[in-house]
Amino acid sequence: MTSFNFRAQQERTRRHTAMLVLFFVAMVAAISLALGLLLAIVVGYDEGADLLAIDPSLIIGGAVFAAVMIFGVALVRLISFGGDGARVAQALGAEEVTVDTQNPYKQRYLNVVDEMAIAAGLPRPRAFVIKHEKGINAFAAGSSPERAAVGVTHGALAKLNRQELAGVVAHEMAHIANYDTRLNMRLMGMVFGLVVLYTLGRGILRSFIFIPRRRDNRSVPVALAIGLGLIALGLLGVLGGRILQSAISRKREYLADATGVQFTRNPSGLANALKKIGGGTAGSHMDNSHTEEARHMFFASATGSLAGMFATHPPLIERIRALEPHFDPATDPIWNEDDKTMLRESRREVAGPWG
Amino acid sequence: MELVIILVVLAILVGIVVVLYNRLVRLRNAVVNAFAQIDVQLKRRHDLIPRLVESVKGYMKHERETLEAVVKARNNAEQIREQIAGAIGDSQAIAQLGQAEGALGNILGRLFALSESYPDLKADQNFRQFQEELTSTENRVAYARQSYNDSAMNYNNAAQSIPTNFVAAAFGFEPPVAMLEFEDREEIQHAPDVSFT
Repeated sequence: MTSFNFRAQQERTRRHTAMLVLFFVAMVAAISLALGLLLAIVVGYDEGADLLAIDPSLIIGGAVFAAVMIFGVALVRLISFGGDGARVAQALGAEEVTVDTQNPYKQRYLNVVDEMAIAAGLPRPRAFVIKHEKGINAFAAGSSPERAAVGVTHGALAKLNRQELAGVVAHEMAHIANYDTRLNMRLMGMVFGLVVLYTLGRGILRSFIFIPRRRDNRSVPVALAIGLGLIALGLLGVLGGRILQSAISRKREYLADATGVQFTRNPSGLANALKKIGGGTAGSHMDNSHTEEARHMFFASATGSLAGMFATHPPLIERIRALEPHFDPATDPIWNEDDKTMLRESRREVAGPWG
Repeated sequence: MELVIILVVLAILVGIVVVLYNRLVRLRNAVVNAFAQIDVQLKRRHDLIPRLVESVKGYMKHERETLEAVVKARNNAEQIREQIAGAIGDSQAIAQLGQAEGALGNILGRLFALSESYPDLKADQNFRQFQEELTSTENRVAYARQSYNDSAMNYNNAAQSIPTNFVAAAFGFEPPVAMLEFEDREEIQHAPDVSFT
């Protein structure tokens, strides 16, 4: 066992996330306030008042209205999702694995999920497999440990050995134990609320382009200003929300790696699984069309096209180095293993030399 | 005015005691729960072994002694487990159980080492399934014990540090609970490595 200090890492990450979540809330508040200000200016102008003598109660009223709308939309979306992990898993096209399975890979997977639930001291989540995905990936969903689900891709089952699979499942159990799945759903709801602002603004503009004009010229500039303001602020909010959500997600990935190691007490299992993603030709890529909106949920980057501010996951090499400081991709045997070797080694373990 | 200040201070003190008391209760319940989990997993291990012995008997005709020793060690461990079910405070009984489980782990290790020389057995699908089940059971026991030790440490830390220790003493919370160590610690922790491919 290496000297990987999971507790210190967890402490640091928790502090960082709290700050980022605060940023997120502050951003939503600032956008609400800006909308209130816009409303007050436009209405004040409409009534022919001096620009500098705007009514403060209008600003606050508008801001509260905007905030209630953003949070309300987020809430409605959360309630409609229901927080049931199994439903999210099914929406991703995953298939549940039950105890009566005869497939040795799936039996092993169920056992590993059981073991990790014991290590985490949580109830066993429902276990799913995403069929036909060759990449190595996994997800966790559900708003609480009681309603949680975990899933792995077919590629993860076929290419990882027992300890690596345990590392991946432990990482997902850690997301559940740390309530990352709930945090992520809430952030997704807020971003959606901001999207609705933008949509609303576009709707207002459209109604002036497509609906035959009534001869009420006075309200046109007012509506135009509000529509444009909603579009601009909505876009700004969505952009900022995405960036913050991704930043939070990256922090939570490190935290889940650390907490997962706390469960297995075996950093190399997780590290080797990450190396196999880096080395294999399929990596962690997923073909599934649902993955774009759910990319925050996965074990490793599912789309792989985004980097920098919008990346949902930290770079693989940095995640491995957090576990094994001396890791070098050029010389590491597992990083450089090809898919065939992975499949063969894993099959040997499951089915034996003659299997 | 003084009365109000005294009342407020008293209310704050009572509030602190309530919070600390509740924390101790929560931590102690976690220990009890984790201990029960070990018991569940040990029972699973003990239930699995007779079936394993039954399935290998046909192949390993020359290893009757070892098989008998496995059954004996299993029965011994099961007996101790039943005796101490729920006796968390009894560190002597826990040490005894640890020894019995350690002995069982050792003899099982020997059985699997012997199975190396029976290629028919190793190719048997049933046997492979048992091996997976046993590996998983060993892991479960290890993780349940790890979870118990973590919760025992949290409870002990709380019950021994200021100011919770005053609350613990005043309300008669049990002294520090024992950590669990099994003799076959190393083997259990590396159970997946002793798979017999």
